[in-house]
Amino acid sequence: MRFLISLCASAFLCAAQTPPPAATQASENGRVVFRIYCAPCHGIHAQGGRGPDLTRGTYAAGDTDADLHRTIVSGVTGTEMPGFPDFSQNIVGDLVAYIRSAAQREPPQIKGSFKDGEALFWAKGGCGACHKIGSKGGTLGPDLTRAGRQRSYAYLLESVVHPDADISPGFETITVVTRDGKKIVGVHRGYDNFNALLVDQAGKFYSFDKNEVTSAKQEYRSLMPGTYAKLFSPAELDDVLAYLMTLKGVQ
Amino acid sequence: MKPSSLICLLLIVPALAQAPEDWTTYGKNNAGWRFSELTSINTNNVPSLAPAWIRQFGSNGGNETTPLVVGGLMYLTGPSNTAWALDARTGQAIWSYKKASPAGLNLCCGQVNRGFALQGDKLFKVNIEGVLVALEAKSGVTLWETKIADYKKGYSATAAPLMVKNLVVTGIAGAEFGTRGFVEAYYADTGKRAWRFDTVAAEGDPGAASWGGDSWKRGGASTWITGTYDPELNLIYWGTGNPGPDMNGDVRPGDNLYTCSMVALDAETGKLKWHYQFTPHDLHDWDAISDPVLANLTVKGKPVKALIQANRNGFFYALDRTNGKFLHARAYTKVTWADSIGPDGKPVLIGGNEPSEEGTRTCPGLGGGHNWQAQAYSPQTGLLYFPSSQHCMLFYKTKQDYLDGQWYQASTVGENEHGVGSIIAIDPATGDTKWHFDMVSGTSAGMLATAGGLVFGSDGQGYLIAFNARTGKVLWKFQTGAPVAAPPISYAINGRQYVAVMSGQSLIAFAVPK
Ligand code: HEC
Ligand code: HEC
Repeated sequence: MRFLISLCASAFLCAAQTPPPAATQASENGRVVFRIYCAPCHGIHAQGGRGPDLTRGTYAAGDTDADLHRTIVSGVTGTEMPGFPDFSQNIVGDLVAYIRSAAQREPPQIKGSFKDGEALFWAKGGCGACHKIGSKGGTLGPDLTRAGRQRSYAYLLESVVHPDADISPGFETITVVTRDGKKIVGVHRGYDNFNALLVDQAGKFYSFDKNEVTSAKQEYRSLMPGTYAKLFSPAELDDVLAYLMTLKGVQ
Repeated sequence: MKPSSLICLLLIVPALAQAPEDWTTYGKNNAGWRFSELTSINTNNVPSLAPAWIRQFGSNGGNETTPLVVGGLMYLTGPSNTAWALDARTGQAIWSYKKASPAGLNLCCGQVNRGFALQGDKLFKVNIEGVLVALEAKSGVTLWETKIADYKKGYSATAAPLMVKNLVVTGIAGAEFGTRGFVEAYYADTGKRAWRFDTVAAEGDPGAASWGGDSWKRGGASTWITGTYDPELNLIYWGTGNPGPDMNGDVRPGDNLYTCSMVALDAETGKLKWHYQFTPHDLHDWDAISDPVLANLTVKGKPVKALIQANRNGFFYALDRTNGKFLHARAYTKVTWADSIGPDGKPVLIGGNEPSEEGTRTCPGLGGGHNWQAQAYSPQTGLLYFPSSQHCMLFYKTKQDYLDGQWYQASTVGENEHGVGSIIAIDPATGDTKWHFDMVSGTSAGMLATAGGLVFGSDGQGYLIAFNARTGKVLWKFQTGAPVAAPPISYAINGRQYVAVMSGQSLIAFAVPK
């Protein structure tokens, strides 16, 4: 697995070497379908967002057309990537054509050192207090074991520098004030019209009936510190990002 | 009431009325009220409502069906051409129906189905590939099948048919594939076609001038939710969907009749009696398919036979159903595309709401303020109940060439805001909101009103909720374990009243414990 990881990391630098195919009718159709079904996660130009950047020309799920077909139809089990089993072969073909045509842009340059980034992550950043990588780390924030595979570079950068910008679904902040005036702030574990469930910074789980508390609200802000842009030097930030981009999952 | 007297009642009442114990058509009555006259579950005892039985189907896909109940049996359809008959007292399966759907379907929204129509010993449903089917009610055996549309061209069928005398009236889906919608009637005994109304005005139709060039050929206007029927006027009312392609109006200049409209059709011939277009030249996928509820109202002191609908474009409308005349409209959610609906029934537009390459923000979003979720009308309170979303979206447009049977929407929507939802009670005579229950999100579930002073609805997180119909106070709730995408119904067996709803892959029937 280690070998695979570093192979992937260097592949960014040499991605998209194939000559650009002309924008075909198929890729244009694919673009339209992509905007509808895929853009919410992969971005309106396939540049990535909550889902990975698909313009890199190389894919963790495999690089052949058949790999892309399979990924689109069946999804990636255990991740946010849903399958689209109802799509006709034609539509899937158009999508693959579109992804190929979009993979012509310059890949983002990963400048930092992932080794230094790893050290910053666990020591100076204290990221491990809230994030798991493999079996190590805390649980207040999302598991980052697959972050480099799941997310785009731009999304990861934004997550570190402006945590409030795009809250990872399921990690909203919940604030409850109990009848005896206690204020409890934590990360979402369930929030509906009648209940508020959360985990506080110490890892304690709470389950409240909204009718039995003074107030309960869900906010689209992050409990992750918003101070990392100041704490890290630009070079250190590059290192942390380089590290995050190498996180492709444990197998 | 004993089963024997129930049968008598069925024989003597005209085919269009129905016993309060039963639920024999999509909208409960032909006016689409979804109002149960049963009172044994009421505002006093609803807090003790509990599941009487649960039936798990383990099927795949969304369940949007309205079950029918007659003579102690429940008939319901599932996704992917499935259906069952259950003992409505215990949930025991009596028979099941399954027909494999063909490969190569072009679907916008999954292999959903919204229920049966019923007449005498026959049940009628559509299969997803555009086939109308008649089943023998006591066995589930197929009596006839009639192809109503070609799935290879992008058509699909999802709505419960509507019985009008000896006719099975059906709509069609597929407006995202450059198809042309219609309403058709078939003879219940033979499956032969009686008439067809094309919801896209073609050459020769007075509405044809509302389509630039030959754009009508891909005009959309699908009819994917069941209409209603007024026996006195002998008119069938049916809402129509968006024009195609959805978000690029450049290729279809004009008002695009009869998209995003209400059409009133002669029940004998299918001829257009009148039409009213809610959203001329729609660019936001705001179908007008929501069930047309027929209610007799007093508007500004005058009695009027009205048709009411919380339209997807964010306005609630009341029309005169005898002639289609606009009565009034009122925004019930956040609306940024029109200031109001003028006295002539035309929207007073706000500029800058055209979808664009880089995205234009408009409220409501693609799903609209209220989409297809079944509305309920209570003659007891005089209020109309429906779930609503408050949600804005970015609308994108692109150029897209039409390809036979292929997705033809000419772009899409994006979201960068978090929407919320509510359940709304509106006074249809004025458009005033009487109460609203605010929710963390919208919901796909529909509504039920009962003479017990109750309204039932579901939130987007799986709760079935009972409200005081007058005040909106939550009187009872139950976490069903999965989001609900169907409307609840109510029926009674041997005097015991049930409220039943499809949640996830299960049918849950609730009753007050004995
Ligand atoms: C709900 C969000 C979401 C939607 C919608 C979505 N994806 Fe994904 N997609 C993801 C995520 C997250 C991954 C990464 C999965 C993983 O961890 O391996 C992914 C992975 C992929 C991959 C593999 C990338 C790689 O490097 O292995 C492809 C290809 C892909 N998606 C294509 C599509 C297409 C085409 C659509 C639309 C038809 C689509 N996705 C819709 C979230 C989404
Ligand atoms: C106090 C706890 C805490 C600390 C410390 C913390 N985070 Fe977070 N992090 C969160 C929470 C909560 C979220 C989810 C909400 C959000 O989107 O910001 C999050 C989200 C993220 C995400 C987005 C993950 C995704 O899949 O959407 C990334 C990437 C991330 N953090 C990286 C880091 C890095 C790198 C550090 C250290 C430099 C760090 N975090 C420190 C709590 C923390």
